Amino acid sequence: MEGAMCLAVPARVVSVEGRLARVEVVGNVRRADLSLVEDVAVGDYVLLHAGFAIRKLERAEAEETLELFRSIESFGDQTDP
Amino acid sequence: MLSRIREASRAIGRRAKVMEVCGTHTHVIARAGLKRLVREDVELISGPGCPVCVTSQRDIERMLALARMRGVTVATFGDMVRVPGEHSSLEHERAGGADVRVVYSPRDALECALREPSREVVFLAVGFETTAPAVAAVALEANEHEVRNFSLLASHKLIVPAMTAVLSGAVALDGFLTPGHVSVIIGSDAYAPLVREFGVPCVATGFEPVDVLEGLALVLEQMAEGRAESAIQYTRAVTREGNRRAHAMMMRVFEPVDAEWRGLGSIPSSGLRLREPYRQLAAETRFPLPDIPSASLGECRCGEVLKGLIVPSQCPLFGVRCTPRSPFGPCMVSSEGSCAATYRYE
Repeated sequence: MEGAMCLAVPARVVSVEGRLARVEVVGNVRRADLSLVEDVAVGDYVLLHAGFAIRKLERAEAEETLELFRSIESFGDQTDP
Repeated sequence: MLSRIREASRAIGRRAKVMEVCGTHTHVIARAGLKRLVREDVELISGPGCPVCVTSQRDIERMLALARMRGVTVATFGDMVRVPGEHSSLEHERAGGADVRVVYSPRDALECALREPSREVVFLAVGFETTAPAVAAVALEANEHEVRNFSLLASHKLIVPAMTAVLSGAVALDGFLTPGHVSVIIGSDAYAPLVREFGVPCVATGFEPVDVLEGLALVLEQMAEGRAESAIQYTRAVTREGNRRAHAMMMRVFEPVDAEWRGLGSIPSSGLRLREPYRQLAAETRFPLPDIPSASLGECRCGEVLKGLIVPSQCPLFGVRCTPRSPFGPCMVSSEGSCAATYRYE
């Protein structure tokens, strides 16, 4: 579902092998294709969409977005039945 | 943020009409109740920003025809599976024995083809510029490794031509919230020609409720000062030039082509088709596909909803014969469709 939606989430790169990486997204490890971005290394943050990194993020930018994600999650916990 | 909107609105002296052209914005706006929150100052309307919703009936019938073919596996994003054709949906075809798979990434579809060489795997590629570069990367890889049993049915759409079509239509708009993640790829400069031609502010906006409110404030402040520019609210991810590498990859594999949009009809250079030497990956070159002109879906008014001419509740089917559980039209299928978002949250 997130594929068709133009939704992308910040992810932290935990390992890189060629143009494929493992990334961590809010606690889950996923695969990410790095073909669309340049110079990504372990520890960097990327914006992940449909299994592809579409942009490298500055750490501060990523943290800011992740903070928003977390706040929404806790908001969701309180309001969803 | 609300006080910024209110202040700009006072200076404008009337209610502004702003369109969002991104399904994720539609979803966030409905979920956070933002329409009501800004109601006195802004009329927020949803445009053709949900990729599933704008896919033409002709393309959907072609997807269904592919799914029914012997030996063919179709792979696509989850939302596509429930979109109703005239008599069927991919979900329905799957129940009847068709091999329909939901994937998270176009790469999953390519890997499926590599794992199962006896199947013809067709990826039904929908989405705007956010998704098209990823599909292009996979097409390059399939071409490079000569994966013979993998092809694409590309129904990609480009956002700027659609915004131009909306501005040329019946709705008098004051500004756009432009899609944040499309803008990551194309950059805010991509909207500059449209801003110049029509004099409407465009603001590339992020996806949290506070982002959307700030995007609106930036649109209204431009209006109040008599300016029209392509601006960026979502500075965490969007730049003026965009992701040039991704954009170049998309344009290496695809070329713009006239495309049919649900509700908007044919829009010049608003879609993408595979260019040479990647054309051999096009499903239409490998399989006999029907070319059925788009029939309208009876009383379904998704087309007018997508143009911003009516709100979902003005459709006679809304909430009665068309619900998220049993959708009649595509805007009720996807969680980012404006009918589904309205039904769920308003």
